[in-house]
Amino acid sequence: MSKVLKIKDLKAKIGEKDILKGLNLELEEGKVHAIMGPNGAGKSTLSKAIVGHYDVEITDGDIVYKDKSIKENEPEERALEGLFLSFQNPVEIPGVNNAYFLRTAVNAKRKHEGKEELNAAEFLREMKSKIEELGMKKELINRSLNEGFSGGEKKRNEILQMMMLEPDVIILDEIDSGLDIDALRAVSEGINKMKDGKRSFLVITHYSRILDYIKPDYIHVLKDGQIVHTGGPELVEKLEKEGYESLGSL
Amino acid sequence: MKLDILNALDSKKILKELNASHSKELAASRLVELKLPNKKSEKYRYFDIEPLIQKDWNFTKKEPIQVKTGKSIVIKNGIVEQLSNLEGVEVEMKEFNDIDSQHFDSLYYLSHLLCEKAIIIRVKDETKLNIEHIVTENNCLISYRIVILSDANTHTQIYETYSGDAKDTLLLTGYDIFISRDSTLKFIKNQTINNNSYTPISTNRYKVDSNATFKLGTFDFIKDNGLNIFRVELKESANFDASHLLYANGKVKGGTISEIIHEGKSSNSNQISKNILDNNARGIFDALIRVQNSAKWTKADQNSKSVLLHSGAYMASKPQLEIYIDDLEASHGSTTGQLDEAQLFYLQSRGINKVDAKKMLIIAFANEVISNIDDEYIKNVVHTHFESAYYGKSNLECLETCHSCEDMVLEEN
Ligand SMILES: Nc1ncnc2c1ncn2[C@@H]1O[C@H](COP(=O)(O)OP(=O)(O)O)[C@@H](O)[C@H]1O
Ligand SMILES: [Mg+2]
Repeated sequence: MSKVLKIKDLKAKIGEKDILKGLNLELEEGKVHAIMGPNGAGKSTLSKAIVGHYDVEITDGDIVYKDKSIKENEPEERALEGLFLSFQNPVEIPGVNNAYFLRTAVNAKRKHEGKEELNAAEFLREMKSKIEELGMKKELINRSLNEGFSGGEKKRNEILQMMMLEPDVIILDEIDSGLDIDALRAVSEGINKMKDGKRSFLVITHYSRILDYIKPDYIHVLKDGQIVHTGGPELVEKLEKEGYESLGSL
Repeated sequence: MKLDILNALDSKKILKELNASHSKELAASRLVELKLPNKKSEKYRYFDIEPLIQKDWNFTKKEPIQVKTGKSIVIKNGIVEQLSNLEGVEVEMKEFNDIDSQHFDSLYYLSHLLCEKAIIIRVKDETKLNIEHIVTENNCLISYRIVILSDANTHTQIYETYSGDAKDTLLLTGYDIFISRDSTLKFIKNQTINNNSYTPISTNRYKVDSNATFKLGTFDFIKDNGLNIFRVELKESANFDASHLLYANGKVKGGTISEIIHEGKSSNSNQISKNILDNNARGIFDALIRVQNSAKWTKADQNSKSVLLHSGAYMASKPQLEIYIDDLEASHGSTTGQLDEAQLFYLQSRGINKVDAKKMLIIAFANEVISNIDDEYIKNVVHTHFESAYYGKSNLECLETCHSCEDMVLEEN
């Protein structure tokens, strides 16, 4: 099986604090990997490290994506190459129109791939149909990016971007937090539709609830900056019953 | 003529020196009291005023003459070239002496002394009037004044634009605006000043009568020095709403110096200043709100936000509140900083390169005030001018503020 993303002995800190302490993880093409772990374990830090967030300083190890080290690459280069992170807490950007933003992003990617850019009307038709699929209000098209969106609307907006950008590796950081059951269903359906046998998913969560909707192929347990356990879907039930402590450390 | 010689004269001699009529005695004596500014003058401390005061100006008085009529008023190098034939608007050129006796700015008085006849515009009906200023004459002092009198119960919009690229010229102008009871006046100034261009100083007096509303928007995109100065008096239940957008780039100084005086009770003011400063630009927002003891139940908000795009940029933001009563709601604040890192990252993480992401955030910052313009057409023009000043060109095909495509697609089924 081909490994699309390889995290090798990754050590990273935020400020002065060591957070990732020699983390190893490989994502298989076309598979759904779930990372579970307690609050504060370093799950969001890992996702930020992969997409090149300025908070995270990598001190050792490597991130290899499509057989190239990307740890020095700008965030936009990583995105154009097909990495996508759905943020745990998407920022609000007053004054930036949601549709204009997403069209700029989609066209940047199309240009990068040597495709023709979409004009405003073509793009909007596409965006409108995705918005309807996700059960989002149409008015969100013309609002400022995430400004005044409810928690659930923000998460759906992340999924909308994912659907429009068609990335190769999708990282979902706590996508289920703040979602009611209907929203969770709509969001999961959107994600499941993106499965095409090639695209890989990294579903980060500390609740198992989302995994009832997005069936994982592998479960990794992240504790104190390391992956301490890897197993199949059966691990979810064990973690539910016995908690993270039952797995001990490496 | 060097202006600073006036500082040594008494009011009679000032009138004589400037060949001004005796009816301008008040302006002359206020000029004696205030003196022309130098670099130590409180209100001008952030601006390069001294070279303008010390320069030997080539100054000739100009009779405003009218040659034709059209929709808008056109003033070229101080000469009225076209008068408006809009219904409900009366324009005449006449001596005007009902000036503000308490203005803080000596240049306000100087400009009144320099202009024998003012352009007096009386608005009697609901109307939208455009005023075009053209400045092409190099190396001279051009001064003229405009008076706007709105009748009671009228609703007016005035939109002024500037064009021309005169060099080494001082354009000293301004308005005296009187908004009668129960009227609304919207005034939008859209000015782009190119590199190595004339210096505009606009020094104004606004009087907002009871229950009247004045909505002011100044949009200054400057690559050379320029100043907006005003003093506004608010009577009982008057409303004043001001938005200022400044984009300054280069070794330039410019911005707004203002005083908002709450005289009448239950008067409201809301002033917001947004400043985008690049390279060695210095932005000025020196703004006082005074709530007099006659102005109970006043509401006054003032806010200044600035983005510095370069380590050499500097914002002199001085919001000030002077309050003589207890019964009021007032707030003021000022922030200066760089672009928001988290926002920038979010855009980049979606594949938008850093340069474009920055542009998006800057335009968003500016849009918060541009979107206060009610008139859709003017809003788009101002937006385009901002983009041209900022990018060097405008993406006219698809403006960020123009959502006609969205509307079209949203209406499809
Ligand atoms: N910006 C930050 N500044 C300082 N500490 C941080 C920051 N972000 C995260 N941390 C710390 O890093 C640790 C891991 O955080 P995080 O990766 O968000 O955990 P998780 O997503 O697993 O809950 C926590 O102890 C958290 O307090
Ligand atoms: Mg987290």
